[in-house]
Amino acid sequence: MKRALHLRPPGQRALAAGVCVLGLVLLAPWTGPQALLHAALVLGFALDPGSALLTAVWAAAGGWALEGTLRIYPHLGGTAWADMTIALAARWLLVEWPVDSLKGWLGRQAVLALAWILLVHLAVRIAAGPHLWGTAWVWVLLGLPAWGWLTWRWQRPGGR
Amino acid sequence: MARPASSWGWSPIGRRRWALVLLWVGHGAWVLSGPKAGGSWAAFTSAAARPVESLASAWRGWRLHRAERARDLAQAQTDLAAVRQRVQALETERMADAPRLADGESAVQMLGLKAKVPLRTEAARVLLAPVGVAFGGLILEGGKDRGFQQDQGVIAPEGVVGRLWSVGTTQSEVLPADAPNASIGVMLARSRATGVLQGLGSNRGEIRYLNNQEVVQPGEAVYTSGLDRVFPRGLLVGYVTEAKPGDLELKVTVALAAPLRRLPSVLILPLPTPEEAQAPLVPQAKAGGAS
Repeated sequence: MKRALHLRPPGQRALAAGVCVLGLVLLAPWTGPQALLHAALVLGFALDPGSALLTAVWAAAGGWALEGTLRIYPHLGGTAWADMTIALAARWLLVEWPVDSLKGWLGRQAVLALAWILLVHLAVRIAAGPHLWGTAWVWVLLGLPAWGWLTWRWQRPGGR
Repeated sequence: MARPASSWGWSPIGRRRWALVLLWVGHGAWVLSGPKAGGSWAAFTSAAARPVESLASAWRGWRLHRAERARDLAQAQTDLAAVRQRVQALETERMADAPRLADGESAVQMLGLKAKVPLRTEAARVLLAPVGVAFGGLILEGGKDRGFQQDQGVIAPEGVVGRLWSVGTTQSEVLPADAPNASIGVMLARSRATGVLQGLGSNRGEIRYLNNQEVVQPGEAVYTSGLDRVFPRGLLVGYVTEAKPGDLELKVTVALAAPLRRLPSVLILPLPTPEEAQAPLVPQAKAGGAS
């Protein structure tokens, strides 16, 4: 039997996701912190257990905002598609198999982050051609405790 | 047991699902289209943006042009202000120099006249020239201190002025040629007929004692005849303005050439030399004649 989810109000979710998208634009000069915020958005704040469509929209918005600020790809859209895919998968996991512990949450986020990194690289390679790996993925993995804990608190309102 | 409504039908849930599928599949197709599609998209967006870019370029060019014109206008206004200031300074300078310039011109004219007249003349500055005073005389600088004497002729570069009427210690008064009690011996330029010019006032005079038979035309020049023994022969007096026959003599009106009330300086002619011709002999009465 699935455990009942404690959903945040839609307004709070939209506000958090919008702030994240805006932050992605404002953090354009600092790609490391931008990657951390991007991961928090795709694997945390964009996830809406009540609406898969909103989840995909906010994740895609994050992808487009990131690529728009990078301005290095000749063909945009790869990051947005990968974000959407991973965010939908994360939402499905969140709804179907909710975790009860921080460790379990962080472990799942680590796996999802790894898959996300690979999928983003693949999608961008398909869309825009070969490109450098960069250091964003290192920031995402090393910053997992921070953004993972943040998204845990966000998805578990009340600190339960 | 009733079957639940299809989740993929035309219901709110179905529409959201279709939207999600379209979003995800559309993005995927876009990604799979690759960089070439991106190039086409970029070309399309560039072509679509070209009108706006042209407008923006024209707008920017217009603003630059306007800014340049504003700078030119400001520069022109500055230059204009400087030129105005310079003109003002020159005008002030010219006004300051005007009296000296007038004196200089008058002196040049006097020198020219002096060179033309083969007489030993004296220049004198006009101190006072009453305007509007009927037959008012000119007051000259210089009198007995400079050797002036009564009845010396006074001329100007424009023509005859009059004669010295009274001579003081340092100033002299001139009887102008247009005074009613002034008379000058004159002759007409064309016919050489001689007469006497008497003043009528207002820079005019009338030639007396001309025969009705003389042919005189308006505009004819009038010169001094030299018969009055004040002015030498051939000095310009004025021009005929009107000539009509009278009862006994021709009435000829003359406009004097010299502006008697606007002369800055004049030349004083010397007194005429006494005649050397001997007076005709008077027959003496015989002694012891009729008693």
